[in-house]
Amino acid sequence: MRNLIAFFRRFRVFLVFVVLQIFALSTYFSFLQFPRAQYLTTASSINGSILEMRNDVTKHFNLSKNNDALQRENILLRGRLPQSFHRLQYGLVKIDDTLYRQQYEYIPATVINSTVTKRNNYFTLNIGSKQGIKRNMGVFSEKGIVGIIHNTSENYSVVKSVLTEDINLDVMIEPIGMVGLLKWDGRDPRIGSITGISNDLKIKLWSKVVTRGGSGYFPRGLTVGYVRKLNPVEGKPLWDVAIRYSEDFRTIQRVYVIKNLMQEEQHALEALIPADKEDE
Amino acid sequence: MNEVIKHSIRFVLLVILQSLILNQLEIGWGIQLMVYPLLIILLPFELGTIYLLAIAFVMGMAIDSISNTYGLHASSLLLVAYLRPQIFKMFAPRDGYDNLKEGNIYEMGTRWFIYVFGTLLFIHHFWFFVLEMFRLNDILLILQKTFVSLPLSFLICLLLQALLVSKPQER
Repeated sequence: MRNLIAFFRRFRVFLVFVVLQIFALSTYFSFLQFPRAQYLTTASSINGSILEMRNDVTKHFNLSKNNDALQRENILLRGRLPQSFHRLQYGLVKIDDTLYRQQYEYIPATVINSTVTKRNNYFTLNIGSKQGIKRNMGVFSEKGIVGIIHNTSENYSVVKSVLTEDINLDVMIEPIGMVGLLKWDGRDPRIGSITGISNDLKIKLWSKVVTRGGSGYFPRGLTVGYVRKLNPVEGKPLWDVAIRYSEDFRTIQRVYVIKNLMQEEQHALEALIPADKEDE
Repeated sequence: MNEVIKHSIRFVLLVILQSLILNQLEIGWGIQLMVYPLLIILLPFELGTIYLLAIAFVMGMAIDSISNTYGLHASSLLLVAYLRPQIFKMFAPRDGYDNLKEGNIYEMGTRWFIYVFGTLLFIHHFWFFVLEMFRLNDILLILQKTFVSLPLSFLICLLLQALLVSKPQER
């Protein structure tokens, strides 16, 4: 027993170092996969309010650019209003039909913290579970998709952006409709890559990449980016498709969070698929 | 000025500078400016390693929680705090350290500061980028990031000392 105490006393500096280091590393590696506690992230209320104060100052730097973007979007939407169409037929009565039902709702939000230089980049939004934000909701901006909600608190939420290693969104390349997984190699915040595209397909440069809407986080057809380069993968009949994101994440300010009203139905249906057997 | 208050003010200023300003900058070529190890080297010479580790851990976690890195800064700063006594011993002046002095460039000299702080900052940057990438394939990118970030971080630390450290009076 005395030897044990002497041992601890002799190596106490090293032991304290190891314990603290293990704590830091375990939070680092586990947070990348599973969000657990909020108090260590920007979703906590103290950090959220600090970042909001900072954003109150920095949001004015991009004000004119954001106004231009919002105006462009307004023009687009205004063009779809009934007032801007010349009526060709009269005497018809409009009936609320049952052919369409709303599937997606959008919640506006502001990015109050973002990084683009890290290996895994997370953005913080100024809305949280009080506004109905839940985990795994999709986030997009006026130009393209941004990421999915990773963690929420009452008033703030953290987005796992497409600038993370294992974002793995299913996207497709128009017009051929080839489906692949979106990844990011951690080098350039403007460039992403798609894996799983077979190299017998002819893909034109600058063809559009859109979401597939498979997992129910995003509606089908939201812009992700444009094909920029095709890199052959060594030893496999695959392309590694480099794409240029249509959103510039370095200046991102206004985003929308997607609420899928039919997500539970889709997940309940997909849960009925039998799992693959490992021994086959 | 009371020592505790002085170091607390430095702590807060460096955390704010690092997490709200420097971590948001995107300069390109993989440059990432990290200046917070400056606090660890400016702490008093006679402070025990356990206190150093505790301060480093709290500071790292504070920066991590604001910039969504979940323990990356804490781990690198802990390593700096743990290695500080060894590095100090390696570059000790001939008659040991004077407890009244502080490890800044004005009191210990340019040569000492470049050797000691350069070594600690290199260890910090290398460990940080290795953990961030965590893949052997990216070793060239890790080295590139380390060697382009290191001189710039060092330069900013030199400039910061003009703000944070009071120069000794001419006698």
